[in-house]
Amino acid sequence: MTNYAGYMGRVLEIDLSLRREREYPWTDRDRELYIGGKAMASKIMYDNFTGREDPFGPENIIVIATGPVTGTFAPSSNRFDISTLSPLTGITTSSNCGGDFGFYLKKAGIDALVIRGQSSKPVWVEIDNGQVFYHEAATLWGLKTGDTQAGLKKELTDLHGPKGRYGMVTIGPAGENRVLYAAVTSGERAAGRGGTGAVFGSKNLKAIVASGSHEIRLYDREKAMEHHKQWTAALKAHPLTGSQLPRLGTAGLVSTMQLRGQLATRNFSAGRFDGFEKVSGEALAEEENITNSGCLSCPIRCSRTVEVEGQKVKGPELETLGLFGPNLLNDNLKLVCRWNRELDELGMDSISCAGTIAWAMEASEKGLWNNGLEFGQVEGISQLLDDIAHRRGVGDELAQGSKRLSEKYGGKDFAIQSKGMELSAYEPRRAVGQGLGYAVANRGGCHLNGGYLVVLEGLGLSIDQQTPKAKADFCMLMQDLMESISACGHCLFTSYAVFPRFLISKPNSPVTRFVNFIIPHIGWVIRLLNKCPGIAHLNLPLIPYTYELRYAVGLSMNIGKFLKIGERSYNVERAVNARFGVSAEKDKLPRRLTNVLQDPNDPSSRVPLEQMKRIYYKARGWGENGLPDAKKLRKLGIE
Amino acid sequence: MMVTVKLFGLLRLDSGVKQLELEAATVRELYPKLLEALHNAQPNSSLTLKDLKACAVAVNECPAKPGARLQDGDIVYLIPPIAGG
Repeated sequence: MTNYAGYMGRVLEIDLSLRREREYPWTDRDRELYIGGKAMASKIMYDNFTGREDPFGPENIIVIATGPVTGTFAPSSNRFDISTLSPLTGITTSSNCGGDFGFYLKKAGIDALVIRGQSSKPVWVEIDNGQVFYHEAATLWGLKTGDTQAGLKKELTDLHGPKGRYGMVTIGPAGENRVLYAAVTSGERAAGRGGTGAVFGSKNLKAIVASGSHEIRLYDREKAMEHHKQWTAALKAHPLTGSQLPRLGTAGLVSTMQLRGQLATRNFSAGRFDGFEKVSGEALAEEENITNSGCLSCPIRCSRTVEVEGQKVKGPELETLGLFGPNLLNDNLKLVCRWNRELDELGMDSISCAGTIAWAMEASEKGLWNNGLEFGQVEGISQLLDDIAHRRGVGDELAQGSKRLSEKYGGKDFAIQSKGMELSAYEPRRAVGQGLGYAVANRGGCHLNGGYLVVLEGLGLSIDQQTPKAKADFCMLMQDLMESISACGHCLFTSYAVFPRFLISKPNSPVTRFVNFIIPHIGWVIRLLNKCPGIAHLNLPLIPYTYELRYAVGLSMNIGKFLKIGERSYNVERAVNARFGVSAEKDKLPRRLTNVLQDPNDPSSRVPLEQMKRIYYKARGWGENGLPDAKKLRKLGIE
Repeated sequence: MMVTVKLFGLLRLDSGVKQLELEAATVRELYPKLLEALHNAQPNSSLTLKDLKACAVAVNECPAKPGARLQDGDIVYLIPPIAGG
């Protein structure tokens, strides 16, 4: 139970071994400290993991958590998080998804699921108005994600008639076969990173379906609805969330990244690709894009709809375009659209999959592993994806990710991963703050969990891409902010509208130039804000999340408290990972990015990681070992 | 100097123009000529000189400033402000 609105007041623990459920203890005090989503999941993992768990063992847990605004119809609020112990990295992973499962889970009367144990045979779990039913999944096992969802709809129609409305999470063959970067799919959206799908597979869990008729209550309906209206209008009026993302999607970044030298090319050996125009967002819009679409209650609608083999399907995001395009020396857009579809159907993370293939191509070129793969050689990739998902031949090896393969065959210097997770499409030698983020990110080489500093380093603002100054401080700030936004259930893309419009649309104005100049000099302000959150005891119209929590949920909130929630979340996640061996030594990048210059004539074109890491740990209040101590955890209310 | 101007982002989607040939000695000199050409392509366009000047510019894929001198055969890239991924 809860006294707060927005929440359903129930966290349900499901033991698949025993096919039994119980209430997981989660109090209003926990809600105040962690809000929900990823932050909540991290705390649950902190309370459950000792550091000895096996990702594929019954002792591993999967936490599927919504935020209090999920389903309230606040703009871009329909997110949910899947967290677990990652088989790819051996530490925790969290994957945020825009599918409609979160909404229906709340309609079922539940805020979050904690799933443990291991079913003895394939199962799908139905949660209807808070009641749990276990169904045999023998007929669904082996099916791709689209067919699985169609099969589930048929079974549900047979069980309950045709009128039901459901949210689903499912896995495809990759999850069943424990591909280490298998994804979980909800509709056409994926919780992609870290191998959540493989953990589902190890538990013989094919799918979860949620439905119900519970009301998602708002604390002050009138004020909340008015706030939603104003916020939606602001998102629509902003050049990024109102124009660029709806019309070009994330793919629109390809051209700017090319210009900035940030477009990962040929397994991150370069930052520019001669054929970039053919795989750009513009080409996607002009040649392939039928329309744009979006998640439930999202006015941004950044998703592309393209046609693949006569079917209208979700188009590729920037990461898939970049990593299956320039990073493999491929300029065939139609093929990327097709592979994107196949990856979704097989249930695999496109980032880790492409990163592993790029590594294998280079390993083959260097004579380390004779696997038949070659940069620019795109015939056979479709078959290769199928082989990875079904763990056949070379595909069986590629299913392990680039870190394990480089340990086996050599070539660690160009295995573009951090903590075992492959990096996304931003080449960090031309965005050194992003490089720091990749290295220190709790879940491994992730652009978002790393703070997404590239948005300040050329994609949005234009601060000096090469200077390490203040990057550590802003990395911390952005990580904390994104943690808090995610914990609420909001999409991170709403945060782009936090930048005043003129900073984006007038990059050459004196004010914008001053902002770009001054940011590298104000790291101390961020540290001060972090140490004394009381000075941010205010709310700003540009940061709508605090108002949302007040009006929709009834939580007393201000910017200082909001950032502190993010900091708490980041620290608790770090503390769990410390039990699995994470420390400063693991916060690293492949040698190619730290020791090899992208431009041999520019000595600054590498990531000065060690220099930034020291400042980052200091700003976080961590020791030189890169970890929070007991005092820090107590100060944040974690212990 | 005769140069090829390539447009990106919403500038390209709105104008329907992918690239065009123009004569200019510097990037700065290019702006009014480009504006005129784009208005000819889309007479109802609300594009202004300020919009063009807000774009990131590259000459032969190297970032360039408005004063950058152009050579015959150069390729000038104009990319409007953009973010998010």
